[in-house]
Amino acid sequence: MGEQATDFLKDYQAMAQQSWDAWTRYLQQQTVSATPFGAGAASPFGPASAGDDLMARSMAALKGYSDWLQGAVSSGLGQGPGDWQQSLQGLFASLGGQPFAHAFASIDSEAAKSFAHLWQQWTQANPASVPGMKFDVEHLAAFGYTRERQRLQQALAAAMQDYSEWAGKYQSLIQRANTEGFERLQVKLAELTDSARQIESLKGLYDLWVDAAEEAYGQIALSEEFRHAYGEMVNAQGRVRQLQQQQLDALCRDMGLPSRSEVTALGKRMHELRREVRGQRAASDHDDVAALRAEVAALKRQLAGKTEPAASTEKKSSPRSGKRAADDAAPVDARRPKASAVAARKNVTRGVKRK
Amino acid sequence: MYPPLRLDPAALMGEIAAFQRKLAAGMDNLKHQLEPEYANTPRELVYREDKLAVWRMKGQGKPTAKTPTLIVYALVNTVWMTDLQEDRSMVRNLLEQGEDIYLLDWGYPDAVDRWLTLDDYINGYLDRCVDAVRKHAGVAAINTLGICQGGTFSLCYAATHPEKVKNVITMVTPVDFQTPDNMLSSWSQQMDVDLFVDTMGNIPAELLNWVYLTLKPVRLNQQKYVGLVDILDNPKELQNFLRMERWIFDSPDQAGEAFREFIKEFYQQNKLIKGDLIIGGKPVDLGMITQPVLNIFAEQDHLVPPDASRALGRHVGSTDYTQLAFKGGHIGIYVSGRAQREVPPAIHQWLSTRD
Repeated sequence: MGEQATDFLKDYQAMAQQSWDAWTRYLQQQTVSATPFGAGAASPFGPASAGDDLMARSMAALKGYSDWLQGAVSSGLGQGPGDWQQSLQGLFASLGGQPFAHAFASIDSEAAKSFAHLWQQWTQANPASVPGMKFDVEHLAAFGYTRERQRLQQALAAAMQDYSEWAGKYQSLIQRANTEGFERLQVKLAELTDSARQIESLKGLYDLWVDAAEEAYGQIALSEEFRHAYGEMVNAQGRVRQLQQQQLDALCRDMGLPSRSEVTALGKRMHELRREVRGQRAASDHDDVAALRAEVAALKRQLAGKTEPAASTEKKSSPRSGKRAADDAAPVDARRPKASAVAARKNVTRGVKRK
Repeated sequence: MYPPLRLDPAALMGEIAAFQRKLAAGMDNLKHQLEPEYANTPRELVYREDKLAVWRMKGQGKPTAKTPTLIVYALVNTVWMTDLQEDRSMVRNLLEQGEDIYLLDWGYPDAVDRWLTLDDYINGYLDRCVDAVRKHAGVAAINTLGICQGGTFSLCYAATHPEKVKNVITMVTPVDFQTPDNMLSSWSQQMDVDLFVDTMGNIPAELLNWVYLTLKPVRLNQQKYVGLVDILDNPKELQNFLRMERWIFDSPDQAGEAFREFIKEFYQQNKLIKGDLIIGGKPVDLGMITQPVLNIFAEQDHLVPPDASRALGRHVGSTDYTQLAFKGGHIGIYVSGRAQREVPPAIHQWLSTRD
């Protein structure tokens, strides 16, 4: 009976694997045929496998879960009255000790792709920088005509090394979250032995495992150690990027192309200019409105039979005069007739203004 | 005394087989899905500047509220979360209650917007949007409904432009940026944000999305998609799921300078509650907010912990302060069935006594 069950398991695992492979192939075919360039045609977006790669990334979560299911069956969970803790440990080991490795580390979108991958691309695209990796960056003094470039390459190699170290520390904390998650799962399961709330499905076990993993991760991710490793990893990435950009800027200058720093500086100056113009325009509008308000007030006084000379209206009133303050406090709808009059007056005297 | 696991081998086989069957069968449904549409409640363009737009949302009848409410969303993600789908639209719900709703859609910044500062966003764009709504509605002051970072912006705005804001509503809004359970804050503390922005320029949305996913990596990168398999054969549920995916990942990049300032001034230095925040030369003091304030937060919010929002009550100057705790998460507060029943009616009720 036991042997029959084992054979059945093997057959089932083979079937499940075939099923997974089949629909993965199916998806890949759909992706290729969906391209407007057709299978085998040159795509402006890169090699034909790019779509497959993106699809595979999208489906990584389900592949991970499928692997987890098959691992659970392979580990002997549920087969006879054996030691469930031993079976769980077998499952944990069969998944390389990192059942959720992909969830932590395989988020690999275009912008957030693994920095190591970016580094590979950089070295492939810029072979000249590779020899820099061979320098003993701490001890070899740079000199001669290529001194500056040599120093830059050495700095880049050192920065990348620094990044690798911090990324390693970050990964070890993630690994710890995996391990502690498993320990928490065992505690949670042990608590269930006191009740009739037994777990009867792999999905139930998986959900409990996810809870345990998230709890363990949450505690580590809020720790001082994680904060430090995270910050240093991000900063080390920044230093690598900075040095790469310096090399690219030098290359652009050599080729007579506008560099990133030049374009950025242009953008900054344009923005500063825009702010200045807007500020001046607002101040000008403010003065105009103040003058017009004063003029309208004077005209009203004249109409009311007062003898105050109209010439005084030409003097620009203080923006926070009593009259202005009263206007500000009044609802817009109450001020509307005056505002319309001002707008009409402005159109007559200054032409149509910007909205 | 029971063993925690009661896993029957045959049942496990059945479970795995069912998963594979659902997955394989569901792929066809996934293949034929159209891009999910948002609720697209009828709207009228009121104001446009650069990439932003202010919309007046139109309900079945005329608003009964005298004072319009401007929804100010965060710069990350889009405002369409508030009008996601017909039966899960906070906007529609508020319109049905008789509120007069305007939406501020910030748009998608690109390299031209790299130098936009918080001053540009709050004292520039937001101020002009508020003016546009005031003018359109013919009122002196409006209500603001700020969401997440948009809530922080609207608090800064209400403190510095009190004459233009009648009532302040905040939803899932961070005020104290350094509560012990704030993971985003913890991770940002040791970041060299100057280096980060100098090398990245604008901050890519994909990078930020990756950061958000790593707050709960297993739940958000795997468990969620395992759950998807269960609804692959339900077209309506699948559309809802895909619509949410669209909203989550169709996000704007962040203007570099504004991001730099926000991380430094708010996350790293927590200046909003320390009272030494200055934006565009104007001191921002929450004590200057004397308008009525309704502060709504989510009890299971993993992005903005409840304590980060609750802090508003201790720092705001208003004597008319109301706090509402919602049983749900950062997203559920807009789209869950409970949210539809509880949140818009509570907002309407609160506003109606202060209109």
